[in-house]
Amino acid sequence: MIRFENITKVYPNGVKALDNISLEIEKGEFVFIVGNSGSGKTTLIKILMKELDANEGKLYIDEQDVTHVKHKKVPKIRRKMGVVFQDFRLLSNMTVYNNVAFALKITETATRKIRRAVPMVLSMVGLNKKSDRYPHELSGGEQQRAALARAIINNPQILLCDEPTGNLDPKTSWEIMKLLLDINLRGTTVVVVTHNREVVNAMKKRVITIKGGTVAKDIQKGDYGYED
Amino acid sequence: MKIKTFGYCVEQGIINLYKNRLMTLASIGTISACILIIGVFYSIVSNVDFMVSEIQNNIGVAVFFEEGITQERIDELNTIIEQREEVYSITYISADEAWEGFKEEYFEGREQLLTGFEDENPLKDSASFQVFLGDIDKQEVLVTFIDALPGVSHIREDRQVTNVIKSISDLIKYFSIALIAILIIISVFLISNTVRLTIELRKREINIMKYVGATDTFIRGPFIIEGAVIGLVGALIPLGIVYYFYSDIISRIMEKYILLDDYLMFMPVGDIFIRLVPLSILIGAGIGIVGSMLTIHKHLKV
Repeated sequence: MIRFENITKVYPNGVKALDNISLEIEKGEFVFIVGNSGSGKTTLIKILMKELDANEGKLYIDEQDVTHVKHKKVPKIRRKMGVVFQDFRLLSNMTVYNNVAFALKITETATRKIRRAVPMVLSMVGLNKKSDRYPHELSGGEQQRAALARAIINNPQILLCDEPTGNLDPKTSWEIMKLLLDINLRGTTVVVVTHNREVVNAMKKRVITIKGGTVAKDIQKGDYGYED
Repeated sequence: MKIKTFGYCVEQGIINLYKNRLMTLASIGTISACILIIGVFYSIVSNVDFMVSEIQNNIGVAVFFEEGITQERIDELNTIIEQREEVYSITYISADEAWEGFKEEYFEGREQLLTGFEDENPLKDSASFQVFLGDIDKQEVLVTFIDALPGVSHIREDRQVTNVIKSISDLIKYFSIALIAILIIISVFLISNTVRLTIELRKREINIMKYVGATDTFIRGPFIIEGAVIGLVGALIPLGIVYYFYSDIISRIMEKYILLDDYLMFMPVGDIFIRLVPLSILIGAGIGIVGSMLTIHKHLKV
């Protein structure tokens, strides 16, 4: 599903963020990516999101070489992925419903379809009763659920989560993790970048540890490791 | 792009305009000023041009004949001159007609002064052609040609008047072009600033849109619409002003300079607007769209 082949990324200021990194994530996998700040995790995600281009190496998404695609084709690639961020990134002037519908609107989905899809995905994340609320009226967990609903409403093949539980208490974090598992069980490839040691250790999923721009460890049913 | 998406862009564009309404008003103001000046100068230049061409039709050259010329030769000359392409019209004025006209013009109401001239025509050698030209610039060529014809004694030109008017009209033209160019640049700059502010305000939203896979058109559309709306409104306001005041100002001028009645001829407002409306809208929307595109290009990395 996702394949990094000897990817190197050097920033214009000379910092080498990724150093000849190779990794492969299969369709339907649930993967944690862990590492210290400055390890290159963020760069990895940015390359995957086509926000940055690699200097060397190749990137395949869905068996398609997307290392160098025309700017115009980028939105199409991004539609294959749903993204969730630590700070939720909901639009504060829109209700939960509209925040989720927004993702469909910009992909030019018919209104009829939007009206059907949004309540469905909201009930899946347990927010169907709060669809008329604004983000500031929701708890952190609820906001993250709304963001999750927005990320998956397009039925993306990949769900990319950047520190999804970073701003949440442990109990809420678990609820979000359970949702991610549900989504994964429906066939979506889930990639979670996180610092949350307990979650990683308890889930017993594949853990890729990034250190100094390379893959330091890649263990099936792994844990967070010793260093932090 | 689907119609729905276009609708979305319009909606968002208008919301943006409302959100930073102060900048919107400032930009509309500048464009309005710019187009108002275009409108005013366009009206002036068109009217001056119109007057010049009208006056040209009234001021022609007078061609006089050598003494003792035969009527046949005069008819011949008439045919030769008439065939020249510069000539708009040619009229023969006999000596008697010239005298009648002279009397009318200078002695009207004082006919007693003419005693002694009853049987005699003091202008008996003053038969002439009144030649009117289509284009004043070709007068010199024509005069040289006619002057060389046998039987022609001399030619009287009233060129100065038209030349002065023409050079004034040219001056106004160049001045207004320069002024308009400066104003257009200022307007583009202001619109660009407005759009930049909106981009700043909507950075988060734009970012989210990018992540959800919005296309460039979708993200940029509202900003283009924003610029276009500013440009259009900025064009319509001054058009309204010009339309409203045009006839009023003309009638005031006519009243004040009633003596110049023969020379002051104005175009009806409809004749001005038939060109001014598309011109203004084109410039307004053009400035708006170019202004926002420049900004998007510079500040909105999609």
